[in-house]
Amino acid sequence: MDVKGKNFTRFLERKQAHNDQHDSRAEAKQHSKGKLTAWERLDILFDEDTFEEVDAFVTADKSDTGFGTVQKAFGDGVIIGHGLIRGRLTFAYAQDFTVMGGSLGSVHAAKIMKIQDMALKMGAPMVGLIDSGGARIQEGVASLAGYAGIFHRNVQSSGVIPQISVILGPAAGGAVYSPSITDFVFMTDQTSYMFVTGPNVVKEVLNEDVSFNDLGGAGVHSKKSGVAHMVFPDEENTLMGVRQMLAYLPSNNMENSPEMELSADETADVEEKLREIVPDDPNKPYDVKDVITHIVDKRSFYEVAENYAQNIVIGFGRLDGKVIGIVANQPKVLAGTLDINSSNKGARFIRFCDAFNIPLLILEDVPGFLPGIDQEHNGIIRHGAKILYAFADSTVPRITVILRKSYGGAYCVMNSKNLGGDFNFAWPTAEIAVMGPEGAVAIIYRKDLETSDDPAARKKELAAQYRNEIANPYVAEERGFIDEVIDPAETRTKLIRAFEALETKHVDNPARKHGNIPL
Amino acid sequence: MKIKSLLIANRGEIAIRIIRTTRKMGIRSFVIKTAKEPNAWYLEEADEIIDFSEDFDDIIPEFLDIERIIKSAKKRNIDAIHPGYGFLAENPDFARRCEEEKITFIGPSHDAIYRMGHKTIAKELAREHGVPLLGGSPGAVRDAEEARKIANKIGYPVILKAAAGGGGRGMRVVEKEKNIERMFTLATNEAAKAFNNPDVFLERFVREPRHIEFQILADQHGNVVHLGERECSVQRKHQKLLEESPSPALTPALRKKMGEAAINIAKSVNYYSAGTVEFLLDSDNSFSFMEMNTRIQVEHPVTEMVTGIDLIEQMILIAEGEKLPFTQKEIKLNGWAIEWRINAEDVQSGFSPSLGTIEKISWPESENIRVDTGVRDGSVITPYYDSMIAKLIVYGDTREKAMQLSSQAIRKFWIKGTKTTLAFCRAVLQNSNFRKGNFNTSFLSKELKIHYHNEPDDALLAAFFATYDYAREINENEEKPLHTENGKAITPWVLKKRLR
Amino acid sequence: MARSAKKKTSTKLIALSATNKAYEFKKPLEKRFKYQGKEVDVRLHEDPKGFSYIVWKNKKYMLDVIEKKQNRYTIMVNGVWHSFTVETPVSLKRKRYLEKQADSSAGVTIEAPMPGKIIDIMVEEGGEVKEGEPIIILEAMKMQNEINSHITGIVQKVSVKKGESVMKDDALIEIKKA
Repeated sequence: MDVKGKNFTRFLERKQAHNDQHDSRAEAKQHSKGKLTAWERLDILFDEDTFEEVDAFVTADKSDTGFGTVQKAFGDGVIIGHGLIRGRLTFAYAQDFTVMGGSLGSVHAAKIMKIQDMALKMGAPMVGLIDSGGARIQEGVASLAGYAGIFHRNVQSSGVIPQISVILGPAAGGAVYSPSITDFVFMTDQTSYMFVTGPNVVKEVLNEDVSFNDLGGAGVHSKKSGVAHMVFPDEENTLMGVRQMLAYLPSNNMENSPEMELSADETADVEEKLREIVPDDPNKPYDVKDVITHIVDKRSFYEVAENYAQNIVIGFGRLDGKVIGIVANQPKVLAGTLDINSSNKGARFIRFCDAFNIPLLILEDVPGFLPGIDQEHNGIIRHGAKILYAFADSTVPRITVILRKSYGGAYCVMNSKNLGGDFNFAWPTAEIAVMGPEGAVAIIYRKDLETSDDPAARKKELAAQYRNEIANPYVAEERGFIDEVIDPAETRTKLIRAFEALETKHVDNPARKHGNIPL
Repeated sequence: MKIKSLLIANRGEIAIRIIRTTRKMGIRSFVIKTAKEPNAWYLEEADEIIDFSEDFDDIIPEFLDIERIIKSAKKRNIDAIHPGYGFLAENPDFARRCEEEKITFIGPSHDAIYRMGHKTIAKELAREHGVPLLGGSPGAVRDAEEARKIANKIGYPVILKAAAGGGGRGMRVVEKEKNIERMFTLATNEAAKAFNNPDVFLERFVREPRHIEFQILADQHGNVVHLGERECSVQRKHQKLLEESPSPALTPALRKKMGEAAINIAKSVNYYSAGTVEFLLDSDNSFSFMEMNTRIQVEHPVTEMVTGIDLIEQMILIAEGEKLPFTQKEIKLNGWAIEWRINAEDVQSGFSPSLGTIEKISWPESENIRVDTGVRDGSVITPYYDSMIAKLIVYGDTREKAMQLSSQAIRKFWIKGTKTTLAFCRAVLQNSNFRKGNFNTSFLSKELKIHYHNEPDDALLAAFFATYDYAREINENEEKPLHTENGKAITPWVLKKRLR
Repeated sequence: MARSAKKKTSTKLIALSATNKAYEFKKPLEKRFKYQGKEVDVRLHEDPKGFSYIVWKNKKYMLDVIEKKQNRYTIMVNGVWHSFTVETPVSLKRKRYLEKQADSSAGVTIEAPMPGKIIDIMVEEGGEVKEGEPIIILEAMKMQNEINSHITGIVQKVSVKKGESVMKDDALIEIKKA
């Protein structure tokens, strides 16, 4: 080909036109709002120089839809493509707010659907960078149909490839459903928001005044609604966080998560500090994250949904380089009880790990379910059952370590032996009982206490006796419900070996279309 | 009666301090173990441990459980109990119960504790024995209305103080009449919570006095001496932050006058054992009696350093019935000692408690440095007890020397794990008025502009380190290679599961 | 159709202090940096007892990372702690922009300085409050602590009730600058 000839020149001119489209004024506007452009975000997300754009020149169908003009721009406001993240194939789309406010028209949607199809075909993760004003009103029902197509593919891919949504701007109306179906939602503080109905409509219909941030900002979704799993102070950190999380996930549901070498400063496997964290006094709180960080490989704990339902802690970690999912009760919040929110938080995470072959580690210290009219009327029965179902239905290796309390129904729910727990360990501080000592003796020894001359002291005495003779973990150990009471300092070694033994675990659930998990 | 065994009803640094002396005297020491601090250092220093830690939901905190302590002592035939400071040290019931059970209480008679413990009775005694006083209410103030009447008469500002305790709790200064009701409520509530007694009395508030206290030693034979004064004016909300002996404000003549007044106070209740008489010293060198603390005090080491006398030893000897081995003339104050209290507090956030684990602690050792502490590597500062980490006591021939050595010692005192008041100590040493000895109780609020000493390069170093660490972490996260399953052989068993 | 490769990592990192002072450092960050025009070697040592310290101008500075969360750091140097967020030039610009936005609308939230129990609330929503005025009595560590307002303005929101127990940093009162 003649590099000066018509063919090549035309090719270069078109490329130039594509570059010229890049409106520096609109970009500056994006920056001035504290946001990055779609390209900048992709540059941060993907390994350097590995992103390949697909369908860069696709444009909207017609510029005059009969209901307003549509800017005919190359790409139609979204960039789709594939690249490498930490050396692994990943697909992504990034909405471009500088083109028609990133609004979704039929071509824009078709592009997203195309890349979703590709991700599903290649068995690689799908990351969506969302920054969009919503459906393109000018294109009418075609926009809505576009959304539906995207949702459909989100559902098809659910549990097949990891899907992550990163909200970097507005995501309103129907647009929020795609993120909520995906596995994890990332948001950036103060410049991203999600809501089904915006403040304007809220004001009109209910006459309530509320700002964007207060209605659906990162704070609201990470603390109150539980919709957002990870929040970062700025976009760079958010995208780096996505990269970090992807390192814990397999590319698809047929693979295991990638392994990582241990750090140079990884210490010996005996962690004496673990003996000191849990107090002997069952009513004293402690931070279960201290336990977690001393069990997993150094600095490998990646907590998810940290600010929501803090009475349960979930996240990824590594044991000897291999990824595990962690579910732990947090005694310093609500005494570690299970309630509606924590049951939901835990259940979804368990289902995700099960779908993607990530073994589960359960650290248990739970006195029961949170009592109260509020909980009962709002269906703690239904919600608590979710976490139980999720455990029982999962076929990944799952190991429980009972750190301290484990009473009643909560004992069953938190991956007990008969629920299918592969290995169930307990620490010497464990207390396993139908109910707490005080409550138990009040019932069993009711007559004794009624006729005693110092009921308070007698109750204390009996409770101590109960604690000593019945609630201790050795009773459960002797009956096989606990495999072994272990020295906390040896937890890491025990777990590494146990998970190794379970690597080839294979369980077949009965054939069915799907179960009916309480929702 | 010789004491052969001693139960120390206290914890932390004072327990270890007392054990130091019991060891010297060949006395067997017993301490109490609680569930709140099962691994505390003081437990290992003692000869025997009495375990109170099995009882989890105790309604009465261990160190305040009179009957339980006495029962434990009797069971083991322990000769004596030393209450330390705080807890039951100034509880007349405890002293009385010890007496009833024929256990020697290392301290004064329960009657002396009671009378000096009640501020209004103490004041009355002071008046009777010709010791100067501040004007105020004759006894406890019944209600805000009575407080208002008296305050209006003697003139504002006035201070409301808890009758049954001290240490800054149950105390409120009232500047204007309109605040008296609110302050009265605050003070009485706090007093009720802290001392189980809501009584408060009212006195004229001297705005910027110096707080001078005199150490008293008296035996059971009527001999009373004073061991000089301690200057305790650097305080925050009536809590002492550092103390020194002697005081730069006292002349030998003033010392003699105040010392005699202190002795008179002690004699008024037939006092024996160690005790401290507190005075307020006004700028015109007039002094007034505040209260007497009928116990060994936190800051006793500075007196020990300048007099060479072991106060705990004297307390035990006095309790055994021995006569004081010295007369007033024989007591000399040599040199200068300063005690720096190092607490687990965040100076930059208004001295709020900074609880946590002291990972590591290290200080320079020298013959002029004494460190009294109950904290070692791994100790936990809990919310159940005070936030004291250590007392750093520095001795020099002169005040100048003591300050210089203090500066060095503080710079080399390293603590890792919580925020501490070390930077505050440095700020004090940098203050020119402190160096000149020119300060009073308003020092912290008025004189010390910034409560922590900050060298200009500190922030730069911190900024650099933060950035360096952040960059390093990002690199670490990014750089570590990920090993996927590509190219690895997968066993048929697992393959079968995946292909299902 | 690859877009021309763009350099994604900036060459600078900035530590922003709580008092809004920005310290710039050039990447890559070795154990040395430029100070007053000179390149100074700041070696991080560990002494036999396990303390980390920096030697700077021939003096030993004990250094400790007290808190570390995402890009927020609290470092203690010689007993004084300093808080920073580590920013890139882009995120710093963003921060400044967002602060300007916040200034005009939001109020100040007074948080609990320590865990305790709310004994008394002296203000109500809509009421005026002056800087230094006491607004809440918080009982903690056996003392009744008065919490004062640090600005003059109108009370927007009272987030707690009398008798309620709070944790450190819990939001107590929101005040809008007058």
